[in-house]
Amino acid sequence: MASHGIKDQVAIIGMGCTPFGEHWDKGADDMLIDAAHEAYASAGVKQDDIDAFWLGTMGSGVSGLTLSKPLQIDYKPVSRLENMCATGSEAFRNACYAVASGAYDVVMAIGVEKLKDSGYSGLTGSKPPSDGTDSSLTAPATFSLLAPAYAHKNGLDDETMKEVLTRIAWKNHKNGALNPRAQFRKEVAKETIAGSPLVAGPLGIFDCSGVSDGSAAAVIVRAEDAHRYTDKPLYVKALSFSSGPATGALDPSYDYTTFREVRASAEEAYKQAGIDDPRSQIAMAEVHDCFTPTELVLMEDLGFAEEGTAWKEALNGAFDLDGDLPVNPDGGLKSFGHPIGASGLRMLFECWLQLRGEAPPERQIESDKTLGLTHNLGGQPGACVSFVSVVGSELG
Amino acid sequence: MKLPAKAPEPNSENTPFFDGARQGRLVLPRCGDCGFVIWFPRQICPECSSQDVSWFEASGKGSIYSCTVTRRIPGGWGKVTPFVLAYVELEEGPRVMTNIVDCDPEHVSIGDRVEAVFEEATNRDGESGPPLLRFRVREG
Ligand SMILES: [Zn+2]
Repeated sequence: MASHGIKDQVAIIGMGCTPFGEHWDKGADDMLIDAAHEAYASAGVKQDDIDAFWLGTMGSGVSGLTLSKPLQIDYKPVSRLENMCATGSEAFRNACYAVASGAYDVVMAIGVEKLKDSGYSGLTGSKPPSDGTDSSLTAPATFSLLAPAYAHKNGLDDETMKEVLTRIAWKNHKNGALNPRAQFRKEVAKETIAGSPLVAGPLGIFDCSGVSDGSAAAVIVRAEDAHRYTDKPLYVKALSFSSGPATGALDPSYDYTTFREVRASAEEAYKQAGIDDPRSQIAMAEVHDCFTPTELVLMEDLGFAEEGTAWKEALNGAFDLDGDLPVNPDGGLKSFGHPIGASGLRMLFECWLQLRGEAPPERQIESDKTLGLTHNLGGQPGACVSFVSVVGSELG
Repeated sequence: MKLPAKAPEPNSENTPFFDGARQGRLVLPRCGDCGFVIWFPRQICPECSSQDVSWFEASGKGSIYSCTVTRRIPGGWGKVTPFVLAYVELEEGPRVMTNIVDCDPEHVSIGDRVEAVFEEATNRDGESGPPLLRFRVREG
C-alpha cells in the first residue's frame, strides 16, 4: 500500500482563465463557456476532441449538467466535484488521474464560482464544533487566530506582526496591479492597508482575499502525446491531497501556528516530484493566501522558509516578484480574487504563463528553474483539506 | 447587547450538561477509565473510546487561550458587532470555543481569566430553550 504519484505521465497542453471580479452581467454558464473556449483555443483542440470533463464548483451548481448544458456537450462524461476552497485543484487532480490510467486521451478540468448576486457578499459562515451552541465563527475570524499564535511563538510584538501582514497584502496588491485579469489591479499603500477598517482580530479589510466571480480551465493529455499539440507543455510532477481529522479546535496540543494538512500534502508532493529543497528548486509558487496570516504560515508549512523565519523573509522581500522565491506573482487570492471552484486552476494558469515565458513582460519571472508549485486550502486552521501540485516545463 | 445565537437542542448524550446549564452550573463529562475531561459533552471518551463516562460540576473558571474581535459579519450577528469570539481553556483542561460577554471588546486579551455564565436563548419558534455557555472576565 503506497502512494506512487504520476510524475511526468500527463501534461497540460492548453489553459483558459476569465478575468476574476464582480461580473454582474455574467452567470456561471457564461464564465464556463469563456474559460472552456479559451482553453480549447490555447490547446488547438475542438470541444469534440475532449473525451471527458471534470467540473469543480462549490455552490454554483450540482451534477455534470452544470457544465454540459452551457457547453452543449454531446453525451460525454462530466463529473462534478467539490472539496471546499480546494475544489478547482480537486477537479484537476482527478482529470489527471483519468488520463494517467489510460481511460481517456484528452480531458478537461474546469472550475467556476459565481459569488456575486447570491444575496450577500462572501461565503456563509464556517461551522463551529457541534457543542450545542452557535458561536458565529466567520472565515476571517478563524484565520485571524493564526496571527497572535504566530506572533507569540516567535516573539513578535503586535506592531511587528501587523507590519508583516501588511507587507504580504502590499506585495500581492503590487503583483495584482500587473495582472489585467485580476479583480484588484491597483497598488495599495502600506499605510492604507494598515489603517483599513478591522474585520476580525488584527485583520483589516485589505488582509482578506477578494470575493469574486470567475472560471478557469485546463486541457490535459498523456505526456507522450503533448508535443502533438504544443512545443511547450507543462508536465505534472506531483499531485497530493491531505484531509485531516479536523480535531484542531478540540485539541489542546494544536497551537494555530501551522496547518498539519499542508505539511502532510507538501511532504507527499515533494516526494512525488523528487524535490528535497523547495526553496532553491522551485521557480515560483501560487499559494492559498485567503488571509494574510495564512500566507505567512504557509511559507513555513511548505518549507519555503525555516521555522520561525517566514516573517523576516516576508519583510525582506524574499517572496516578492523579484525575490528569491516569488510567491503569488499573479496577485494571489488577495488581488486576483477567489471564485472558489476556479481558484486552484487559476493558480495553475499562472504557472502555465510563467513557466512558458508568456506572462506579461512586467511580471514575467526570469529564472533558469523549471518548476512551479500550487497550494490550495479548504476549511480553517485545525480542520482543513490541503492540495499541492508541482508542475514543470521539462521532463525528468 | 444579547447575542443572537439560537437555543441549543439537547439530545440524550448531553442531557446532564444542559440540565446543569439550566441551574447555572457547568457540568462536564469525565472518562471513568482514563480520567480525560471531555469537551464537547457526550457519552463516549474521544481519548480511549470508553463509554464509562460520569458527570461532575466543574469550577467554571479558565483563561483565554486566544480571541478575536469580529467587526464585520452578515445577518443577526452584524447587529451586535464588535463581539469577542474566544477559545477558553478551562481549569479542568478542555478548550472551549465561546463568546466573551459583558465586556469591552477592545480590552479583552489572551491570558485574561474568565468564568462561566449562562445566557438565556430562544429557539426558532421564539420559545426559550436551554441557556448557552459563555464566559466573562473575572477579577482576581
Ligand atoms: Zn478515556
